[in-house]
Amino acid sequence: MNIKRKRIIFTSVFILIVLSAVTIWYIFTVKFEDINDQKPDYSIKALDLIKEFTKSDSLANKKYAEKIVAVTGVVTEIEPADSTINIKLGDTITGSYVIFAFQKQHLKEATAIKKGDSISIKGSCSGGAYSEILETEFITFKRCALIK
Amino acid sequence: MKKTTLILALVFAGSALFAQKKTTTSATVNFDATTNLDALPKAENKTVVAALNTKTGAIAFEAIVKSFSFANPMMQEHFNSDKWLDSDKFPTSTFKGKITNLSTVDFSKDGTYPAEVAGDLMIHGITKPASAKGSVIVNGKAISATADFTIKLAEYGITSKAIEGGKVTKEPKITVAVDFK
Repeated sequence: MNIKRKRIIFTSVFILIVLSAVTIWYIFTVKFEDINDQKPDYSIKALDLIKEFTKSDSLANKKYAEKIVAVTGVVTEIEPADSTINIKLGDTITGSYVIFAFQKQHLKEATAIKKGDSISIKGSCSGGAYSEILETEFITFKRCALIK
Repeated sequence: MKKTTLILALVFAGSALFAQKKTTTSATVNFDATTNLDALPKAENKTVVAALNTKTGAIAFEAIVKSFSFANPMMQEHFNSDKWLDSDKFPTSTFKGKITNLSTVDFSKDGTYPAEVAGDLMIHGITKPASAKGSVIVNGKAISATADFTIKLAEYGITSKAIEGGKVTKEPKITVAVDFK
């Protein structure tokens, strides 16, 4: 094997190792991007979303879980969650609700929201289930931001 | 007259029962499975449903598994995959139990009370007995509580190379914080 060929093999292996290391480093260190930089897969009214989950939460979970969804509705409750707050858009007749936990960089937006406000929120839908405790359907969101 | 008295009695009895049951839909549960080798496997769920009956000490939690939010997308995907929590098949985790030292907690008097909770914890479709130590804080009508405990992942049918290789602890710490209404 001549020196030129050895050099090509050595360089190729070295590049491969560096690329693998960078890829692994990226996969393990990358964080979820800002929700404001993500386009919603669906846009829906809170009451319509609740209706879909109430009709069949297994079908609705397949459709919405881990998707970015923009939800519009009237704020029915603002609830303390440890040191932060969550926003709820609910059905005042059935008690079913959609609840939004805000992304860290958007927590301040949540504090400006008031009960009765008509708002739109974008976030990652975690899915929904029937609560045996509350006897209502509940749908949860994570990494949310207010759509201004 | 008798009818009015009966209705009033029922209304008062109903409101008394209602007052005993405190709930929230924003309990926080933190999951920490980090090790010296990996600081990534930790998550937070801030939309857990919780209820407390101040008369009986009954306490219950319901969490949507996909609500656990990780900083790292790959870690969140692994957590929900069929090799771990399999959240498509088992979308919720629950706890149903009781405060076992209820006689030492006075919900009518402001203060911080040590509390012990024991009950059944369902994760990954498997139910096992679990217990935790924590505290209950009474401040007027507001009741808040915190507790932490560890679980053995193997007991809930969760095993993986990452656990065996020491990148994920075999016994993650679960921390709970609740503000009841």
